Amino acid sequence: VLQHNDDTEDVSLFDAEEETTNRPRKSKIRHPVASFFHLFFRVSAIVVYLLCELLSSSFITCMVTIILLLSCDFWAVKNVTGRLMVGLRWWNHIDEDGKSHWVFESRKESSQENKTVSEAESRIFWLGLIACPVLWVIFAFSALFSFRVKWLAVVIMGVVLQGANLYGYIRCKVGSRKNLTSMATSYFGKQFLRQNTGDDQTS
Amino acid sequence: MKSRIREFDSSTLNESVRNTIMRDLKAVGKKFMHVLYPRKSNTLLRDWDLWGPLILCVTLALMLQRDSVDSEKDGGPQFAEVFVIVWFGAVTITLNSKLLGGNISFFQSLCVLGYCILPLTVAMLICRLVLLADPGPVNFMVRLFVVIVMFAWSIVASTAFLADSQPPNRRALAVYPVFLFYFVISWMILTFTPQ
Repeated sequence: VLQHNDDTEDVSLFDAEEETTNRPRKSKIRHPVASFFHLFFRVSAIVVYLLCELLSSSFITCMVTIILLLSCDFWAVKNVTGRLMVGLRWWNHIDEDGKSHWVFESRKESSQENKTVSEAESRIFWLGLIACPVLWVIFAFSALFSFRVKWLAVVIMGVVLQGANLYGYIRCKVGSRKNLTSMATSYFGKQFLRQNTGDDQTS
Repeated sequence: MKSRIREFDSSTLNESVRNTIMRDLKAVGKKFMHVLYPRKSNTLLRDWDLWGPLILCVTLALMLQRDSVDSEKDGGPQFAEVFVIVWFGAVTITLNSKLLGGNISFFQSLCVLGYCILPLTVAMLICRLVLLADPGPVNFMVRLFVVIVMFAWSIVASTAFLADSQPPNRRALAVYPVFLFYFVISWMILTFTPQ
């Protein structure tokens, strides 16, 4: 009984510490619709590809369906589910000189209740993001080596689109973690400068 | 770069889904308008996107299907063929342009080339409608005329955007592959017969 009390005391101390230093990680899903669609388009594209012979006798229908699903998935993951589920975003920006910049953005860690990242959503997001391109690469090799060349166009499109999202979000994630250590010092430095000079920073 | 990120942080990271959809749809629509009325502007080049080219490519590939008797060859290879020609051709032209020293980025060039297929897609639509009438020399002349006009339109629209990115003495070298690209597509459209 004494040990049990000690344990509970230890646990409560640990919780109090966590609340003040780390942000609280919830395990409930805050955006069920976004989570559903994140997985729906990817998984149905794979399912249609695997079951095309059974679903419809027309190759064209299957191919167009897969292309549409892959495009919807690309747009949804890039513009909506990444933002809502893990607070990351990446895009391309062309400035006045015509030079292209790839911007990888991650939401600042805020203490607001509804802006923190929930663990369940994060797990769903990364699972869907990583598993599907791997499957498409496997399909690419299988189409190549079994000489079903007419499917190669679709499979390559799948690899490219889903691989692009995977690469973009990994860069967002890696970029944000690198900035984390230097963020505090640079943030306070910039605040100080901004208050004193009062004009735009260029970095 | 960091300050720009902070600017965008509040505007795009937290906007509603409907705003995102409308913003992207408006951008695609604006580019279609720019192709139909080519003016010297940088909008097509600045915010590139590949949705328009994808829609046009799929539409063109669907319209170039032959109604075949047996379901064994149900137009599958032709569909993939159009896709491969359009995208591989666009990538080749872009590589050529970059090797010649042009200062346009890879995706911008793909965007322009893809959007300028719009006149040829319209030509395909008109040809399919014309082919519903009796075949004959008049039929062919009408289709030839339409395809030639739309081909010229595509060339004018794309060179209006692409020519500026090349130094003056290399412009012809950069433009002739574009000519070839649209010529091949026009040829596919002109020689199309439904059976």
